Amino acid sequence: MARFILRSIISTIVTMLLVSIALFVLIEVGSGDITVKILGVFATPEQRASYRAQLGLDAPVWQRYIDWLIGNDWRAKRKVGYPLVTATNPQTGEKDWYADVDGQLTRWKMEEGRLITLKRQEDGSVTSHLSSGAWKINEEGNEYFWGVDTKNNTVMWMRGEGAEVWALTKAGLRKEGDGPQKYIPLRKGLLRGDPGISLQYGRPVAVTLIPRIRNTLVLAGVAFAVIMPLALFLGILAGINEGKPLDRFISITSLGATATPEFVTGIFLILIFGIWLKWLPAVALFTSADAIFENPKLLALPVLTLTAVELGYIARMTRASMVEVMESDYIRTAIIKGMPKTRIILKHAIRNALMAPITIIMLHVNWLVGGLVVVEVIFGYPGLGYYIYKSAIFGDFNAIEAAAMVTVAIAIITRLLGDLAYTLLNPRIRYS
Amino acid sequence: MKAKTKKKSRLQKFWDSVSLILASRVATVGSIMVLFWLVLAFISLFWTPYDYNASDFLQNLGPNPQNWLGTDHLGRDIFSRLMKGTQVVLLKTRLPGEGNIIIPGGVAIWGVIGSMALGVTMGLNAGYRGGWWDQVIMQILDALIAFPRIVLYLVVIAALGQGDLVVILAISITGAPGVARLARSLAMDIKTRDYIRAAETRGESVWYIMFKEILPNASGPLLVDGMLRVGYAIFAIGTLGFLGIGLPPPDPDWGNMVNEARRNIFSNQLAVIWPALAIATLVIGLNLFADGLREEMTRYQK
Repeated sequence: MARFILRSIISTIVTMLLVSIALFVLIEVGSGDITVKILGVFATPEQRASYRAQLGLDAPVWQRYIDWLIGNDWRAKRKVGYPLVTATNPQTGEKDWYADVDGQLTRWKMEEGRLITLKRQEDGSVTSHLSSGAWKINEEGNEYFWGVDTKNNTVMWMRGEGAEVWALTKAGLRKEGDGPQKYIPLRKGLLRGDPGISLQYGRPVAVTLIPRIRNTLVLAGVAFAVIMPLALFLGILAGINEGKPLDRFISITSLGATATPEFVTGIFLILIFGIWLKWLPAVALFTSADAIFENPKLLALPVLTLTAVELGYIARMTRASMVEVMESDYIRTAIIKGMPKTRIILKHAIRNALMAPITIIMLHVNWLVGGLVVVEVIFGYPGLGYYIYKSAIFGDFNAIEAAAMVTVAIAIITRLLGDLAYTLLNPRIRYS
Repeated sequence: MKAKTKKKSRLQKFWDSVSLILASRVATVGSIMVLFWLVLAFISLFWTPYDYNASDFLQNLGPNPQNWLGTDHLGRDIFSRLMKGTQVVLLKTRLPGEGNIIIPGGVAIWGVIGSMALGVTMGLNAGYRGGWWDQVIMQILDALIAFPRIVLYLVVIAALGQGDLVVILAISITGAPGVARLARSLAMDIKTRDYIRAAETRGESVWYIMFKEILPNASGPLLVDGMLRVGYAIFAIGTLGFLGIGLPPPDPDWGNMVNEARRNIFSNQLAVIWPALAIATLVIGLNLFADGLREEMTRYQK
């Protein structure tokens, strides 16, 4: 058993790594020039090249993959010569990078050819003064300096050769002199909990992603709580009435519900409950971050749609399993023995019949994620699925990668749990 | 026994499969639903009531003697668009490039053929060769299965752009793991048979054994699975169309018709209902058909 668990965990890690590489390569190959989306179609090639460098996109793919996975502050640290640390920005509440120069959090900026040191005080305020003697000399005799700039990059400035860079501001692109020659956008990497900056929102992915994951968990949780008992009940009901009209009705209805795409079901439900009867809101319009708790009605139609699609599948599984159990020898023995039928079903059949569906549901989480994307798009529900959809359309690679890895992790971990649950529930199975 | 192994004529074989379908009421209903759309698709090759892309009528009309199902938000005849929309799914695939090359077989069909080819190759190799082949292939399949398919669709299409071939590719990749698992288990079962041992003794190559000895004997379950997959593929095409990343214009795409009509849902509800119904009936029909067929076939085996 211990060996089986160990093997599953190793296999899980390998799978996650493979998926992350595949995802990274796929997005790398496919997503065209992201600067078209951010800067618009009228930006000049120089502006694009400058912006790509600022995003760190001029580094080779393998380098960016490693940066993405485990961060690059350890790599940048060697260039700067001081440990790089993060501190919370009191205004935005997000993390800023600093170099830790002998216990003093420091950043630099270049103005009119001069290098200025910015020191962060304990209370978060910043003092600035001219830095002198910081320049180092390379082989060609040029003076250079590696430091942390005010935009969370490790950058290299050349003295007297301020590069012209294009900075993206709220008002558009602005040309700046005194720019750095090289950029390393600092990040801690996914494994250390920092998936990078969302290009779409300009804020850290973690900050934009977490509320959406919460929304989706609420939606999926409520849907799960509705679907499970109902589906198991209907499945068992159909299973013990095999071949009778009730079974036919449940089976055909659930087949129909499963085979109807989520968006069709969703549209029909919107038509019936949102437009004709006007009982429920047709879109999940969030007026505040906690709208689902203030107005639970918003959840009604999305949950109903998910229920319609998922219910049938689980009910069919349960039915098949129930039918199989009811045909088994020990149930026949119980019937011949003259046991009351309700007792046979409740005491003997159900426990064995539920084993298969419960483990299959664990494997089914993947489908649920797919359904969630569509349902969230239909209702405009700000969850993980909608986030993935919008990020994919925009080409926001940091966001897609993070969100997709969350779904992959959920899928793989639930599958592992499903496997384990099955071994625990069914002592006949031995894994070698 | 010997008399039975005599080869049946093609007509007789065809009649056998028809009676197999007719034996199950579920499969009969399903095949009627599918045939309905197939016939409409064939008719639309030569004739549709009106030009499917021309705004010839008033916008958002209800059903009337001229437009049987009404018109959409641009004043196009919905029935003509529905008929035309069947083609891309079931009958034709548009290749990219100059000259508008069209090959027979719809996007759903080619997508399933692609996933079958990919899946069967992987599954037979894993199942028959075993050992390291099995380990490596299963690991790749695990990764593919763990990948949420909608994310895969979104990423592939965001990456490669819209197009019939891209949708086929996406469906092939997402369908392959399921096929491969089935093919693997079938191969593992069949490889213990004597005729495989005989072929090995004859010194046949590995590929010959996999594709000439194992595959024909595994074809029944694989075909039924493929039939189910056509349903999934249409489901997926509809979903992609709904998300606005499906089959590109000028041909109407059912999913996209739903998506466009959804924006006018308050003024014209029927425009949403028709294409939604079309997708639902075709997918349900295929599911019923495959389900009934599988039930009949397993009854045979018992």
